Amino acid sequence: MPSLQRRRWANVAAIYCFLLLFSVAFMGPFVFALLSSLKDNPTGWPPSLVVNQLKPSNWAAAYRLAKEGGGSGLMGGLGPGGQISFEITYYTQAGQEPAPPEVVIPRRVIGGAAQALRVEHWASDYVQVVDLQEVGREPLEDGLLTTYRFTLVNTAPVTLGEVPMDLTVPMRQQFVSATLAPNRIERLGRTQSWNNVSAGLLPYVFANYARVFRENYSVSTGKQLFTLWIRNSLFLAAVRVLTTLLFASMAGYALARLRFPGRTGIFAFMLFSMMIPGQVTFISNYLVLRDGIFGLSKLFGVSTLLNTYSGLIISGLVGASSVFIMKQFFERLPASLEESARIDGASTYTIFWRIMFPLARPALGALTILTFQSVWNEFFWPLVVITSPADKYPLTIGLLNLQRAYGAATFDWGPILAGTFISALPVLVLFIVFQQYFVEGISFTGTKG
Amino acid sequence: MRRRSSQGLGERLAPYVLLAPFLFTLIVFFGYAFVRVFYFSFTDYDLFATPKWVGLKNYLNIFRDIDFTLAMKHSLTFMLVVTTAQTVLALVLALVLNQRIRGINFFRAAYYMPSVTSSVVITLIFIWFFQRRGVMNFLISKFQEYRGIVGLFLLLAAALQLSLVGWEKLRRRPVSLFEPSFLFLSLLLSFIVVFSAVRFGLLTPREVAPVDIIWFNTTKKWPNFLGSLAFPVPLGAIMLFNIWTTAPTFMLLYLAGLQDIPRELYEAAAVDGAERWHMIRYIVIPQLKPITFLVVTMGLIGTLQMFDQVAILGGQAPRQSTITLAYYIYSNIFPSSATPRVGMASAAAMFLAILTSVIVYIQRKVLGEEGDHA
Repeated sequence: MPSLQRRRWANVAAIYCFLLLFSVAFMGPFVFALLSSLKDNPTGWPPSLVVNQLKPSNWAAAYRLAKEGGGSGLMGGLGPGGQISFEITYYTQAGQEPAPPEVVIPRRVIGGAAQALRVEHWASDYVQVVDLQEVGREPLEDGLLTTYRFTLVNTAPVTLGEVPMDLTVPMRQQFVSATLAPNRIERLGRTQSWNNVSAGLLPYVFANYARVFRENYSVSTGKQLFTLWIRNSLFLAAVRVLTTLLFASMAGYALARLRFPGRTGIFAFMLFSMMIPGQVTFISNYLVLRDGIFGLSKLFGVSTLLNTYSGLIISGLVGASSVFIMKQFFERLPASLEESARIDGASTYTIFWRIMFPLARPALGALTILTFQSVWNEFFWPLVVITSPADKYPLTIGLLNLQRAYGAATFDWGPILAGTFISALPVLVLFIVFQQYFVEGISFTGTKG
Repeated sequence: MRRRSSQGLGERLAPYVLLAPFLFTLIVFFGYAFVRVFYFSFTDYDLFATPKWVGLKNYLNIFRDIDFTLAMKHSLTFMLVVTTAQTVLALVLALVLNQRIRGINFFRAAYYMPSVTSSVVITLIFIWFFQRRGVMNFLISKFQEYRGIVGLFLLLAAALQLSLVGWEKLRRRPVSLFEPSFLFLSLLLSFIVVFSAVRFGLLTPREVAPVDIIWFNTTKKWPNFLGSLAFPVPLGAIMLFNIWTTAPTFMLLYLAGLQDIPRELYEAAAVDGAERWHMIRYIVIPQLKPITFLVVTMGLIGTLQMFDQVAILGGQAPRQSTITLAYYIYSNIFPSSATPRVGMASAAAMFLAILTSVIVYIQRKVLGEEGDHA
């Protein structure tokens, strides 16, 4: 007989199952994309949860190889005269005689021809392979495991940042394991290929992340574009948060607590504006910025506000929804707060600035987070206003650019996914720390009436 | 006296001074813009030459433009499917999550994660997810391989459940068809049976070639039985991930609403012997009406202006499979070739504005206005 106790227990179990199922549905794609952003090939088939870059054995190897070569274990590098010893094990079937691999240091750099300009000293010119020898054999039931060891020596007078390596063996000799797992296996398994054997721990694990920064630089200034984009987005978000906090609380206070002709009209107009898509009004707004806000910007010696942050900032001083949130907040404060100040003869400005604005702190907190999030994520309007140069893009437009850069021929998803996660990081951190404000923010707009 | 009167003027102007920055953006970047676009919709403006009045020509032209009719169809389908699906999903999620159990905060945060990141981030992840050799096709392949086995599992579970409930009924005990403890037991038992059958090789998954659905670069439509109402596959993919990102936000709104429902209502219903489903049907859903109203309004407005996903997909999907009204307007102002057609774009923009207003108005009529609690 299903007792009440048992029923309750089954209920809880069922709910947890549901919760987990939904979590997989909502978080799954995210988490899997995050894992894949570390992979050498994020579109490998079948998709797998195994990531070489997340195996502690590879971490240890990457660290040790870089250290051994005279570089920094964390950041990598093969120092002048540095030596790296490397081991690799192959499997051969019974009856087949194992052959030592052919070791080649190719003239290659990750990221294609454009990256080649960056390289001053090629590892292929300086690194020599010495002491290639067989160091062990282990017979199996149906075959043989053979291990070879060799040493890479840097004869250059400088530290080499990238040392790619290719090992090739005859047909049917299968790769089993190596000091460091190869980045790719090519030519039907005959060639094992490494991007950088002296990468060091961090560049090895976050190779795709490093590529995002390293491989995208400005044509005009030579600076790293991705750093610029992050800085631009931070700057825009900071300014917009400040203007929004100030102007939204001013307007919200006026609409909520003051009685004046036109109040209901303004409020209705504001609600109407919240309903109309930005794509309706952007045609005129684009022209207004192009002409420098009716030519006013010429007073400051600027003929157009397109491709300027001033344009983005002026057109987005304060949004209707922020005013709405502040209006809702001020309406909930008790009237007694300002009545006594008014009797004392304080002006509206004093009351606002000295009494109401400081009281609005909780709402301002939520508004800060929400504004930061919306500016950081804004896409349509910056796409219209900021078209060139790439130095000026905010991060969202930069990501679009990144997608085009790596998606030109075949998609190189590693850096695209890496860039995606870097750009999502600030908002995710904010969300985790200030979760309460996000929820409050929705419920503020949620009590619309 | 002078001082007092000047202070009076300052006081009278104070509201407008406080409102000034907001009014500036509202008037210049909304009011003026709206009127100007309305004016442009009657002209042949091309961003450069002086606009010439052409009357209603643009409005006639957009309805002759095959791109526009496609865009309108896509936007309306998108709106209907996404708004309905995300509202229902949000409500179901909220009903499940509205429990006092440990760790609920973690799950709430997890579900909300997709909604806080930008559309660019989400869209890029999804483009990757829906690649030809991507995770989506992999999951579909796996599903096809294990379809038979999953079916067997469900059948077995249903049979178990029925026999358990039947046995209980035979012994004249009151029991519901979906008695949770039985359901749990049946699912668990049937899982163990099927899993061990697969483990020991009694059941083998079907041999299926990897599914090779092209999600983006295709003009195919789906589902076939809908005929001309079927929507393009790329649009369907966008719908899927739009529902995925917005449902959690609305779920949070529903959760807040659920917590506002007075406990006495449930208790009274429980005393009257109401079943769980009846409680949901006659108490919870009516009490949540204001939230539903809000969620549907926000859904309608949001889906009608869908733009980002189409722009980010860009050349990866054919234009006629993804174009929406918002994208139609944008691409007429900034066409990749040819001169900008501001007149037609403005006409389409006015159409979008009117469409949004009309749909929101109809929605108010249907769901009933809930604004009187302001």
